[in-house]
Amino acid sequence: MRISSKAVSSVSIIIILILAILAGVILKMKTTAIRLPETLGPWTKPDSPQIVTSANIFDYMDGAGELYIGYRFNHLEVYEYTSDSQDDILVELYFMDTSDDAFGLLSLDWGGEPVALSSAQENSSTSSKAQFSRALYGEGLLRIWSDELYARVMAYRETPEAKEAVLTIGRAIAANQKNLPGPEIVEFLSPFIESEWRLRKDRTRFFRSYLVLNSIYYISPQNILDLDLSVDAVTAPYEKTTESGDRERIRFLLVKYIDPDSAQQALGHFHEAFLPEYKKGFSAASAIQEPLFFEVEDSWLGYRLHGSYLAIVFDCPDQESARKIIHHNISNIKEKEETIEK
Amino acid sequence: MKNEKKKLTRRDFIRGTVGATLGASLVGLNWSKAKGATAGSSLVTIVRDKDAMDAAKNVNSDVVKNMLDQTLIKFTGKNSVKDAWLSLVKPSDKIGLVPTPHLNPTHEELVTAVKSSLIESGIPEENISNAQGGPDKPKACTALIALPALKAHWLTGLGTVMKIYVLYTGNARQYHEQNNSKLGETWTLPYVKGKTKLVLVDALYPLCDKGPQPDPRYKWAYNGLIAGTDPVAVDTVCLKIIMNKREALRGEPWPLSPPPLCVEAADKVYGLGTSQIENIKIEHYGWNEDLLL
Repeated sequence: MRISSKAVSSVSIIIILILAILAGVILKMKTTAIRLPETLGPWTKPDSPQIVTSANIFDYMDGAGELYIGYRFNHLEVYEYTSDSQDDILVELYFMDTSDDAFGLLSLDWGGEPVALSSAQENSSTSSKAQFSRALYGEGLLRIWSDELYARVMAYRETPEAKEAVLTIGRAIAANQKNLPGPEIVEFLSPFIESEWRLRKDRTRFFRSYLVLNSIYYISPQNILDLDLSVDAVTAPYEKTTESGDRERIRFLLVKYIDPDSAQQALGHFHEAFLPEYKKGFSAASAIQEPLFFEVEDSWLGYRLHGSYLAIVFDCPDQESARKIIHHNISNIKEKEETIEK
Repeated sequence: MKNEKKKLTRRDFIRGTVGATLGASLVGLNWSKAKGATAGSSLVTIVRDKDAMDAAKNVNSDVVKNMLDQTLIKFTGKNSVKDAWLSLVKPSDKIGLVPTPHLNPTHEELVTAVKSSLIESGIPEENISNAQGGPDKPKACTALIALPALKAHWLTGLGTVMKIYVLYTGNARQYHEQNNSKLGETWTLPYVKGKTKLVLVDALYPLCDKGPQPDPRYKWAYNGLIAGTDPVAVDTVCLKIIMNKREALRGEPWPLSPPPLCVEAADKVYGLGTSQIENIKIEHYGWNEDLLL
């Protein structure tokens, strides 16, 4: 069969148009007017940044790229301030699609010295319930959550001069930012459960990827909770000190799926993989009305579905503790829903 | 019939059934044959010198050279560095040096010291190359010297010995997700298997938290070189140092997450060596402070 040259020409034009549209989408990057200082003492900024996208992030940072594409990552801009007399300063600006994602990256480690990079940050708080730092410094590394931007500014060698330069760069990054609130799902975590269990706010992590979850609390090398970029998830430990002075720790996990069906389906996959001995008679729907509890090894596990939310507690010393923790946290979601309805 | 593989979970880790579950779930591997196999020697030497780096973490090349000499002599039991090298490699070997390329990379001073030492021992310079990279690198070598840096890793728990050959697969990402426990198979690739003559870990300035990018708060001056020919034994010792450092930092147990399944699997599934610390002979020389063992 012969194809006419006219037809070939038409197809070529269509292909070129599609490629042009795709290229436009790929190249559509978030841009934020961040004005980094051109010079800082002995350091000089390069004229232009290295641009890293999800297509080449593994070339730039090897397997660490999995972390960033586990959040809603747009692109990364890298600057290296150089100096003849001091070691370089690396500036990495991670442009994320939402402020929640930038918060999530900072939330993976709340360690370091909190620093206020702007007067707005000094006066801001993420909510009335839980306040989180927006910038943390330690031994030459400054990490910043600034609206949709997550930044790492690192002096390869910390000196007093380098620290001041790092903080100056940080102030430039945080300037003119709106200081958006943290993820809503984090607000649902009760700081205390009947004055018995205390939330470890400093270990509260927001994420969307099972690889990130595994780096916080190992569940399974497979994605048995159906986590992906469409979900919001938070995990944190609750702790209490027993009469004998020992510390007990429970792991709480709350995931918001895109809809109730997805939540129910995810619970089904989780139950099948994690609780195979309780497979008989299992129905994910039964966790909608009330929480369910299971004895596993030397602890208790409990879960409950509420609309698009799935709450799971691990490592509970008894069923009652699991019940209390699920109840309090789900109640916070219900309270918010009732407020909206009113 | 649907072939349902059992999924590995946290519960296997708690119950101590990781090896069995991994062995049963890894595709195409006759794990029961590999189980229990061990390498020839599980001696691991640790040589430390508190002057290996200065306060600003600059490496002292002369000190590192001395540490390397001591490592070779103590590990092989030979009387000279030359005899030590010639008990591990042949002058005709095409020798590939394999350092950690990214994120807390192996110090260049150590790579240079190893290369110089080989040349001084009679290995022609043209027979020595940097063999980190794609599959073509090991294919061009008859002997490999693994030079990983000591570090935790956010996808595999530990990112030291077992992970050093991951680029040899030509697709490192395949080990980033559920297959990180399969890192042992990179040591069994036809063009890699049996070529590793020495594992020499750069433990001068390790990274004890998983990152994924280096955070200076989790690096410390250990000032050590860790050596062996049983890669699993060396990784097991490295893991113990990392775990003890993490506990020292937090004042309470601070487990790696994900757990470093690749180390146990390298032993119980791939038979590359021993991951039982009680079966490893550890010899330590030099600076003794904060040995973390």
